[in-house]
This record gives sequence, C-alpha cells and structure tokens, in this order.
Amino acid sequence: MDIALCLLSIALAQSAKVPDAEGLKFFEEKIKPVLARSCFKCHSADGKVRGGLRLDTRELMLEGGASGPIVILGKPKESLLIRALKYQDPDYQMPPSGPLSGTIIKDFEKWVEMGAPYPSAEGEMMGAAMEPMMGSSGSVVDVADAPNIRDDGFVDWEKARQHWSLIPMKSHPTPAVQDEGWSWCDIDRFVFEGMVENGVAPVADAEKSVWLRRVTFDLIGLPPTPEEVIAFTRDRSPTAFDRVVDRLLASSAFGERWGRHWLDVARFAESSGKEVNIAYPYAWRYRNYVIDAFNNDKPYNQFLREQLAGDLIPSKDLNERTEHLIATGFLAVGAKGHNTRGRSQFTADTIDEQIDAVGQSMLGLTIACARCHDHKFDPIPQRDYYALAGIFLSSKICYGTEQSAGNNFPSEYINLPVGTAANGAKLSPDQIQMADVTITRFAEQLAALEVRAEKGEVDRGNLRNQRQFLGSLESARARFDDAGNPTDANLVAMGVLEGSGRNAPILKRGEVNQAGETVVRGFPQVLEGDWVPTIRTGSGRKELAQWITDPMNPLTARVAVNRVWGHLFGKGLVSTPDNFGVTGMTPTHPELLDSLALSFIERGWSVKSLIREITLSHTYRLSSKTESRSMKMDPDALWLWRMPQRRLEGEAIRDAMLMASGELSRSRPDGSQAQSLEGPIRNGGVMTRLIDSTVPYRSVYMPILRDVVPEMLEVFDFCDPSLPCGDRAETTVASQALFLMNDAQVIASAEAFADRLMAMDLKDLERIEYAFQLAFGRDPTSSERGASRKFFDDFSKAESASQSNSPIRERAWTAFCQSLYLTAEFRTLD
Amino acid sequence: MDCCNNRLIVHNRRDMLRTLSAGFGYLAFAGLAARTSAQQSTTSPLAPKAGHFAGSAKRVIFLCMDGGPSHVDTFDYKPQLIADNGKSLSSGFRSGAKLLASPWKFRQHGKSGLWISDLFPEVAKQADELCLLRGMHTGVPAHAQAALQMHTGSFQFVRPSLGAWTLYGLGTTNENLPGFVTLNPARSAQGYGSAFLPAYYQGSPMRMRGGNNRRGQGQQRGRTDSQSEAVANIENSVYTTAGQREQLDLVQALNKERDRRARGDTNVDGVIESYELAFRMQAEVPELLDFAGENAKTLAMYGIGTAATDSFGRQCLLARRLSEAGVRFVEISVGGFDTHRNLKAELDTKCQSIDQPIAALLTDLKQRGMLKDTLVLWGGEFGRTPYAQGTDGRDHNNKGFTMWAAGGGVRGGFSYGETDDYGVEAVNDKMHIHDWHATILHLLGLDHERLTYNYAGRDFRLTEVYGKVANQIIA
Repeated sequence: MDIALCLLSIALAQSAKVPDAEGLKFFEEKIKPVLARSCFKCHSADGKVRGGLRLDTRELMLEGGASGPIVILGKPKESLLIRALKYQDPDYQMPPSGPLSGTIIKDFEKWVEMGAPYPSAEGEMMGAAMEPMMGSSGSVVDVADAPNIRDDGFVDWEKARQHWSLIPMKSHPTPAVQDEGWSWCDIDRFVFEGMVENGVAPVADAEKSVWLRRVTFDLIGLPPTPEEVIAFTRDRSPTAFDRVVDRLLASSAFGERWGRHWLDVARFAESSGKEVNIAYPYAWRYRNYVIDAFNNDKPYNQFLREQLAGDLIPSKDLNERTEHLIATGFLAVGAKGHNTRGRSQFTADTIDEQIDAVGQSMLGLTIACARCHDHKFDPIPQRDYYALAGIFLSSKICYGTEQSAGNNFPSEYINLPVGTAANGAKLSPDQIQMADVTITRFAEQLAALEVRAEKGEVDRGNLRNQRQFLGSLESARARFDDAGNPTDANLVAMGVLEGSGRNAPILKRGEVNQAGETVVRGFPQVLEGDWVPTIRTGSGRKELAQWITDPMNPLTARVAVNRVWGHLFGKGLVSTPDNFGVTGMTPTHPELLDSLALSFIERGWSVKSLIREITLSHTYRLSSKTESRSMKMDPDALWLWRMPQRRLEGEAIRDAMLMASGELSRSRPDGSQAQSLEGPIRNGGVMTRLIDSTVPYRSVYMPILRDVVPEMLEVFDFCDPSLPCGDRAETTVASQALFLMNDAQVIASAEAFADRLMAMDLKDLERIEYAFQLAFGRDPTSSERGASRKFFDDFSKAESASQSNSPIRERAWTAFCQSLYLTAEFRTLD
Repeated sequence: MDCCNNRLIVHNRRDMLRTLSAGFGYLAFAGLAARTSAQQSTTSPLAPKAGHFAGSAKRVIFLCMDGGPSHVDTFDYKPQLIADNGKSLSSGFRSGAKLLASPWKFRQHGKSGLWISDLFPEVAKQADELCLLRGMHTGVPAHAQAALQMHTGSFQFVRPSLGAWTLYGLGTTNENLPGFVTLNPARSAQGYGSAFLPAYYQGSPMRMRGGNNRRGQGQQRGRTDSQSEAVANIENSVYTTAGQREQLDLVQALNKERDRRARGDTNVDGVIESYELAFRMQAEVPELLDFAGENAKTLAMYGIGTAATDSFGRQCLLARRLSEAGVRFVEISVGGFDTHRNLKAELDTKCQSIDQPIAALLTDLKQRGMLKDTLVLWGGEFGRTPYAQGTDGRDHNNKGFTMWAAGGGVRGGFSYGETDDYGVEAVNDKMHIHDWHATILHLLGLDHERLTYNYAGRDFRLTEVYGKVANQIIA
C-alpha cells in the first residue's frame, strides 16, 4: 500500500468516526439550529442544493460542493465554511442575507475544531453508544470511538475525564463588564457578561412588593403578610432588602421550604411503594431531621456525611448521636419490593435503590445504570458499580415493618436512646376509638373464620393473611396508650448500621445467580487523585462520605449550588439538576457555576450564605416582565435578562390558601399521621381512614405515602416519591382547575377565608381590599375593585334559585374568596 | 368609587366574554349554551382546522404498553429462535447469554396469515385489521428516556408530545372536552406536555380506578365507587351552575387584568383556558363516564365485570366514548411489561388482562364505522432481548421491536419491517421512532416537515431533522 493511500484511509476512518455525545450535544444546541435556520433552505435535500453543496448529513457536508471540500476537520482557519461565514472571501459569503453573529461563528469554529460532530443519518444520536449492549448479532459500528466505554471494557479515561462536570472546579476572574454600575456583586457580573454575549439586556427591577412576595415564597414557601408588605414598601433604608432576607433565613419556615426541596431528591416517603406498599411509620423522623438541618444551616458537607454515615461519626452527646442515627434514614426510606422472592434479589434491589439515590441526589450521576452492564453514556464501568455495592452490602439497612402477606423481609429498627427524641404523634380520642372498634370487629370476624377453618371451610392461606392483618392493626394500636399518647415503643428510627465488611461480586447482567469476580470496595474510577480515600476496614460508608464531601470532588458542590440556583430562578444553570453526566445538559454559565461552588466550599458549605448572596444580587431583583427584543432572542430567559415566571408547587399553593384564610398552623405537628399505620396500605382501606387530611398544618407535614400522595400535591405535579427528583414539572391542566373549583377542602378554606373577613369590622369594599392583600400581597386595581363589586351583584342574582340553606351573602363571600385562589396570580411567582 | 374608567366593567357577560379573546372557551357558557358549530369561535387555537392534505385518520387512540413489551413473545415470529433455543451467544457484550425461545406458540391468523402468539388470541382474530411494524428501533434502552422519545421524539430535550403536536396541527372537534386525554399516564408529565407550544395543547390526565402504575399493579385512586371516578372533582356541591359561572367570570376578569399588568406571564392563557375547559367538562364528562347507556353485550365484549379484564376494559370503552365524542387524541397506558424476571407468569397475566379489551375496541370501532378513520396504535418504548435474563426473563432491547397500527387508513393484515433471525435487531424496512411519528402525522393529513413551530428563532418540528413516512403501510 502506498503512503498516499494509507493516509487516505486514515482520513476516511477519521471522517467516519462516531462522534461523542458531548460533541453531539454541542451540535444539537449550537450548530443545528443555525443550519436549520440559515443554511438548509439552499443546502439540503429539502432545499435547493445550491452549488452542489448539502449540509444535511455529515458525509455530504464533508464531501463539499462545486468548490470542493468546505470543512477541514480540526482546522477552522483552513475551512471554507468558516471563511464564508466570516465574509472573508469575496466569492463566498454566507449566509447571503448577512453575516451571523460573532458568537455563532465562534461556535462553528469550535465545532470544526472538534471534528464537526454530527449525528448519523438515522438520527440515533447515541447510536454508537448503544452498540456494546447489542453487539451479539455482530453488527459493529465503530465501537472504538464509542463515547466512553468500549465493548471490551476499555475506557479512554483521559477523554472521559474531560467531561465538563468531571474536570476540577476552577476559579475564574470576575469579568470586567461595561455595565455602568448595573452589577452589584460577582454573580451579576457573570450574568451580565452572558447577556452581552447573547444580545439581551436586563429589564428593570421588580417593584418592591413583587420582590418581597418572590423572596418570601422562595425562602419560606409562604406569602408575605399584608403588614410585612406595608412595612417593607415604606422602609427606605439601604438595608431594607438585607433585613428581609435575614429575617426569612432565620424563620423556622425556611427549613420547611428548603427541607422539602431536599426531600424531593431524597425520594422521601412514608411507605414502601411498589407491589404491596408497606407503611413506614417512622420515616417522619428523617423528614424532621432534614427540616432542622436546613434551619440550623448545618454545613452541607456535614449534612451529607451524616446521611451516609451518621452512625459512624463521633457525636458530642446522646442527643447528637440520635440525630446522626436518624440522618441515615436517607439510605432506608427508598421504595422497596417487600414481596420480592429471595433474599439475595431483595438485597440487590435495595442496594441498587441506595446507589441510585446517592448518585443522583449528591453527585448528579446515574450510577445505577451500571448495574447490569457498563454505563451506556457515562464513564462508569459495571465494576465501579459493584465497588460501591460492596459498601452497602457491608451495611445493615433498618427499615422496620412486620412479616405479613406481601412482606417477606422485615428488618429491625434502630433503637434510639430514651430521652433523646420525641415519641411522635398523638391519636385523638376518636381515632383511638375507631382503631379499637375496628380491631374488636376484626377479631370477632377472625374468630368466626377460625371456627369455619376448623371445619375446612376456609382457605388456610386466607386465614393466615387475616391473622397477620389483625396483628398489624394491633401492633400499630400498641404504640399508643388508651388516651392516645404515644408510648416509648415509638423510640425507633429507620436508618443504616454497620454490617460485616465484605466485597460484592459483579453480577453478570445484574442477575443474582450470575455472581462473578469480586470487586474491592471503592469509588468510581473516573474521579481520581490523592484525595480519593481507601477503604481499609468496615463498610466503607465513612470513606464514601469523605469521598463525596471532599472539596476536590468536582461534582458535589456544583450539584448543590445548581440545585439552590434552580429553586431561586426556576431552572438551574444546568437544567438537568439530577444528571450532570453526558446525557445531561451543559451549564449556561459554567464560570459562574464554578465560582459559586468554590465560594460555597470556602464559606463552610453554608446553604444560607449562598441563598443570601443570590437573593441580594441584582439578577434576582429583576422584574419578570418581558421585553420584546430580548424575548425574541431568548424566550426562556436562559441568560437571565428577566426573572423567569414560575408556577408555585402544590405545597406553597395549599399553604398560601391556609395562610389567607388564617387557618394555617405554623407549629410542627408531633410525628406523622402515618405513625398509626402498619403493614400494606390499601388506598381507601382501613389504614388510610386513619389519616385526616384536613389538619391545617404546613403541607410538608402531610403524610407522603407512595401511590397515595395527597391529591392537592399530586395535581400540582408532585414528583413520584419513588425516584430522586430535583426538578418538578409545571403543568397547566383542567384537572387542576377542577380541583380548585370543586374540592371540598378548597371550598372549606374559602369559607374560613370569608369568615375571617366577615368577622372584621370593615366595610365590604375594605374587605375586598384586605382579601387582595392577603391573597396577592397588594391592593386591587380600580378595575379589579369594579369586577369584584359586580361579582357580588351578579352572583347573588344567579344564586337566587339555589336550594342551599346557607345565606346567599355567605356563599357569595366564599365564592369570592375562592376566586382569588383560582386566579393565575395566586399560583404564579413573578 | 369611580367605576367609569374601569376597563373590566362590562354590561353583560357576553360582552365580557368577548373581551377575553383567547381560546374558543370564552364563547361557551357550557351547560347554559348548547354546543353548536356556529358558536365556535373561528379564531380559537383549538378549533378544528384542516391539515396539510386530506388524511385518512381523523383521530388517534394510542394503547401505550409501558415497560417494553417483548416482541419475540407476541407479534414477531422467530422460528430460528425456537430452533436455537438454549444456545449461547458466542461473541459480543452478551456473550454467554442463552437464547430463549418464546414459551408461547405462534399461529397464523386471518386471511392474511399474520403470525401472532397465543398471548393475544382475541386480538389475533382481528389479524386482518392489523399492520404489524416489525422493524421498529429507537435511541436508548432505558425506560424513562425511551418513553420520552416515543412521546416527544427527544429523550434529552424538553419537547412537545405527539398528542400536543396533533392538537396544534388539527385542533379538536369537541370544545367541551380536552382535545388530548391521557388515561392513567404511566410516566412523567413531559410525555403529555406541550413544552414550548402553548399550554392549552397539553394532554389532560385522567385517572381511573384500577389504573396501572409503572409496575403494572392495579391501584385505586380517588373515588372508587361511582363511575364518575375517572375525573375527580367533576361536580360542585355548593354553587349553582349559574353561580359558578359568575365566579369563573370574576376569575377570568382578574386573569385578564393580570395579563395586562404582569406582562410576560405566558401561562395566563393556559390558565384561562383550563378553567373554561374544566367548566364545560362538568357538563359533559359525567355523561361520558356513565356506561349505563351501553348494553350488556358491549360491556361483556370489553370484559367489564370480569376480574381480569375489568380495569383495562373500562379504559378501552372510555377511549372509544371519548373518541366518539370528538377527542382528537386519546392515550391509554398500561404498565407491567418490564419482564426481567417471571416472564412466563407475568406476561401471561398481563396479556390476559388486555387482549379481550383491545379486540373489543377494534370490533366496536369497526361496527360503528369509526375504525376507518381512527388510528389505533399499540406499542411500548422498546422491545426485549431474544436471549434470556436469568432463566425466565428478558432484558431491554431498543434495536428491534414491534408496534402495530390498525384503522385510520393503514394496510390491514400486513407486516412491515423485519428483525434479524433471532429478533435482536431491525434489519429490513427499519422504522425509527422518528419515522413512526412522521407516518402517524402523515396519516392524520399532516406533513411532518411542514408542521413546525417557531421558537427561539428556529422552526421546530416533532421529527427534528429526521423522519421518513413509511408509505408502504398506507392502504
């Protein structure tokens, strides 16, 4: 073979190379839209194919047109494409309508430099990545260039470690922006730079009352009171904003808001879900731990450490010991299939669930994908999964529950030292009576069954189930004395303790009966360095905690600050907060993300300081109003030229209703209503009848049973609590409208709101005004006053034919107050 | 108090409704005003509109089989797999994995002689209506992503769902019902979301008793006794209809005022529309959910009243009723196809619960003359491996699987596309999910390349830069 031919074949091999996922993403985000918008009309199969050039497949693009190749891979300066885009060549100036922006041209240069990644014609963006899994039929694309892990298990670590989230965090000099004093802090400078580069400009600041409503909901999940609005709008002092933020951060409601955010990613729930849905009556201890941690501004690294290895770290006294034990509930509250057949299968599934939760919530990595095979996208070989699995295999998971039909694997609880924890929920006399009556009746029925069983008339299995069910009822009842007070039997928690240290075998294809080679306990290899600890004795959870919270870990702090940012702006700088891997999105502001992450660590991982800094920035102060030019450029406000509008979560909507009606109980209830449950939960069954959803405490304290999530939360996009979730959906559907219009509790709250107004010594017009202040934190406009007054006339006429016994005036005020709950404004944060 | 300048003070409701101009909702006083075509606003984004050309299908019923139903055990007959049962694969990542012949027998059915397994004896009787798509493939072998790609075309980006695109393209014909209904959606709201399309194109989820969760276990949600359980909160117990209308008029006046004041709440229109739709649904939905008008024979045909089939039978019957009432896109989800283990027992039970209802749906549509323009789709996010996982299970397979279509102008009794000898990978007449989307839109009279929506300066479409219409499957 002569040299020229040899070179040619190398060149061909190169051009046929399968692009990596990151390159493809770059293409998808930066290049394809431009091609579609500015090029395809004249250079694609669907267009005109001017100059013989097609850009709609990579092969044809590389072939070039009448003037020859237009792209020299890796060499933008020599590529005709770039020169044409830059209008450098008088014969080739593209697109003809005028040059594209400098940013876009830079993207194209980068793209050519990257080797012009472009998905295959079939449109399987990850086509190559899929091959290893299906390699059996022998159809091989170019596996040598599959993104991260080859068919034979070879990983190009150097390349894999170049993924943006895996490279070390780096501090970046604050950009010197020409912003005429717009920026107040470094955050603003980074954001402003992004705006300039993307051709958008910041809108004006939000009105003070709008900012106050925003920051109050964001920090404590409640609306500001009318009195707070008045005080703040009148306060002209330069520190007025700072004082609001500090007041909110100091409120115990802060933890109830931010704790709930963490409970979403910690897939917290008070029952097992899956097939039989067994109650977890003590999961609430972990819930309270999380809320308290945020209220106490527990350093985030300590917070993670306690959840992973609380039982293994020193504590100053018994109270702290108890707190640390409860923290490990994180590893125990996940969904479990209690009716699984075979202990080894159950154990493997439980460990998988733990790995998934740790990976997504703390690291933004979908490690659990590597259970059955090497990860398809991220550099996580199957062996790394089993290195982690050994850590959990060496730990003892304690979730309690009792043996019953459908529960093959009950476990112990962790006993808490007496005097260090509260006993939890009380039962009302009614509930105690209901429980007693139910048990007595059930016992009678069972006795009758036993008699019939003697005669062989009843199925033995059925009888056993009934006995176990009665047992569950009795053991739940036994947690309370006859006055309904919880007894010391409640001094237990879910969590994790040390087992015996052992390594896990790789399970071929994830099958428990296909155990292969054993892997030494350790951590995913993709993060390397002398900071990675070695597991010498014990389960390795302590080392796992150390590994995750080490300041050198490039993921933990980035993931954390991104979550905080997302809760304050509706979308993170990385819009896939649970996935920082190759299939996740890249950050819009990578330098800002790193600066925030580094200063987060420097300031002792203080979540409150981080929130304080962000909420006092100019960026956070912006109005949510649109401006047509920027709107056209950036409708999603990715570049933060305005505050994106957000829909409130179900919890906040419900709490705001109870706040407006004056019913909200701000104190924390004892324990959880789920504390009186035991065994399988059947929706609508005996168990769930013990739950009283009308108690007006904050929504975060409502019992969260998997598959029986309170309707209020469910219709407003509560996440499936079986999976980590850092980003709730925001839908607008008729089922929400129907719920707010017709649900008995919504109407009851509107009645209470109306009663509250009626009880005040005010004129009707003043009542209307006050109602607006309570609901929206502002006065009604004159047209809203008019529409409200008109409503009272029209409604009374319309209802004159009603058969209802209640006076029309009362119904009218109820309907009026409910109307405020129904509006778009009530559920929207500006 | 000075009322004269108040823009919202209007003299009668009709005037006010006219000032609220988005959506055909505003014209309706549902329950008070009868539904007639003359009263539908022609400017409504949801009003029916013509497609790009005359399509053979007017509406869609998508039977979404969540979890990845095994093609080699249902609709993809592989004699070589049977012959080589128990042999090990010799190379590749799966080396050592053993081929597993389907435990179910395949037979030929109908005049067309399509091969269908004994898991679907009733559906098999409709073989001549089925168009099997045996060369399906998709991007990713992970549930969440593949399900998203099946519903939106993208497993990575937030994009509008197939149903939302359909509404955007064609509108809907019954203003009192959502144009896109999804019964017991199995996965994330993104699967019926509208993404950057306006919010009123979103699917409306309805929950039914015995709806299926991801693991395929029946669960009860909401009200369980009456038949009006599929839509919660469909009745108001406090106000008269006229009173509630006044209440909503106030709500909408306040929404409109907000729209004026807080420029930029792009969602206000969606909220407004959701209330109007909800109000009209109250008048229409209870009747729709009341199966009393169906005769005993029909109920029995769907398997309603028989334990195994009751739940899915109700959903299929409701799907027919919704379609008949003018809902453009109905999706029913059923889970439990993720048979890594206990393949024999689980797939058997699962298919028993859906076979008869699906067959009944096809029969019923046919006898009502609706099958010819109702496109019925069956399938899941991917298929499964012909080789075993353990001894009685199969793993995910995105490289080759089967979906099917019936009615709506597809060729019945036809099989399109092929996997290799074992069913590992699609090899002939391959149909990527993008192609499936393109073909569905085509059958509805929409050109997937012209059905675009401009967002952020770029024209987006369901099929991105892909998608090829499979003309061979069109009758």
